[in-house]
Amino acid sequence: MNITMVLILSIYGIVRKPNLVKKLIALTILGDTANMFVIFIGYRLIYPVIPPVLPIIDQNRLIEFLEQAVDPLPQALVLTAVVIGLAVNCLIAFAIIQMYRLYGTVDVRKIFEKVFPEERV
Amino acid sequence: MISLRILVFLIMFSSIIFSSIILTILDIFPPQKDVRPLGKYYLNYSYFEHGNITRTAKSPEAVTAIVWDYRGLDTLFETTVFFLAVMGGLTLFRVEKADLSKTRIKYIGMTMIVKQATKILAVLIIAVSASIALHGHLTPGGGFQGGTALAIAPLLVLAAYSKYILEEHGLTYLKAILIRSISLSMIWIVVLMPALNGYNLMQNQPFYPGEIFNQLISGSLFFYNLLEYLAIGMGFTAVFLYLSIPEKIYLEELRSIESEKG
Repeated sequence: MNITMVLILSIYGIVRKPNLVKKLIALTILGDTANMFVIFIGYRLIYPVIPPVLPIIDQNRLIEFLEQAVDPLPQALVLTAVVIGLAVNCLIAFAIIQMYRLYGTVDVRKIFEKVFPEERV
Repeated sequence: MISLRILVFLIMFSSIIFSSIILTILDIFPPQKDVRPLGKYYLNYSYFEHGNITRTAKSPEAVTAIVWDYRGLDTLFETTVFFLAVMGGLTLFRVEKADLSKTRIKYIGMTMIVKQATKILAVLIIAVSASIALHGHLTPGGGFQGGTALAIAPLLVLAAYSKYILEEHGLTYLKAILIRSISLSMIWIVVLMPALNGYNLMQNQPFYPGEIFNQLISGSLFFYNLLEYLAIGMGFTAVFLYLSIPEKIYLEELRSIESEKG
């Protein structure tokens, strides 16, 4: 429920804020919250819970390890998702800096007026 | 009297607390107490063979085995996407007409205390990042995490001293991009080598050695972690070097483009 509210807030931030930098911040929050949601799916609510790393290499302890370890698959998928989100955010940040140099402003409405001077919304 | 924003926030907050209490009391979606069968399979076969050597990854860390061995093609193309994004960013910032080496802004750096601390910290950061990356098959971490930590050391030197000190000591744009491209092509070579010798593409276990000199290296996982560490670290260093070009050069570039057009 908490995660749904943060997702709704970040989508509101992307749509309604006219500043480009604030849109980028809201996009980062959206990506991080979605990754957090995937990690919560793989958790187990039992008492002695360990990460999926074999502490002592011994075949007799394998059954005990299987009963206590957390699911490793969502964590691996989130690693890939974090890197791709980072790459996209990095490229958007470069584009925002170049747009500021060319147009002199970071406000979406003013850039729209400079690029299409005849249209009126 | 109360504005619309405050009302919306109050509604959201109370609905979170209310729904959490209701869902916990009625026990509607209980969290799981047992791992899915697919996760159990990966945990089972991650180090021990159980009879078939092509199913194991010989690594006690299940997450690294999934990322580079069981779902290795995902990670390979994620690295390529990162490479393309950095390439696109560096293209946006290219400098053609102005001369990069002519303009040198006088910047003496921060105070003596910061400089002395940076000398110690930069070396420590490089050592810690190498440990995170190269032990990726034993502890949580791996190539990507170590790479992002490696890029912090040139950034510290850039902030405390200046960019020109970094370039005088040998870390130019060209070297960073060259190391990154060589590491990425070597990752592709490590991917293709088992296929040329009769196994599948990106196969880990019967082809690459599991132990060298009695130390566990988990086959190809060690090489992937090392090459990814170098590639990501040098990619971020190139990004930081391009971001710290002084703004005067871009204004000069734009002015020369305008005068050429008009």
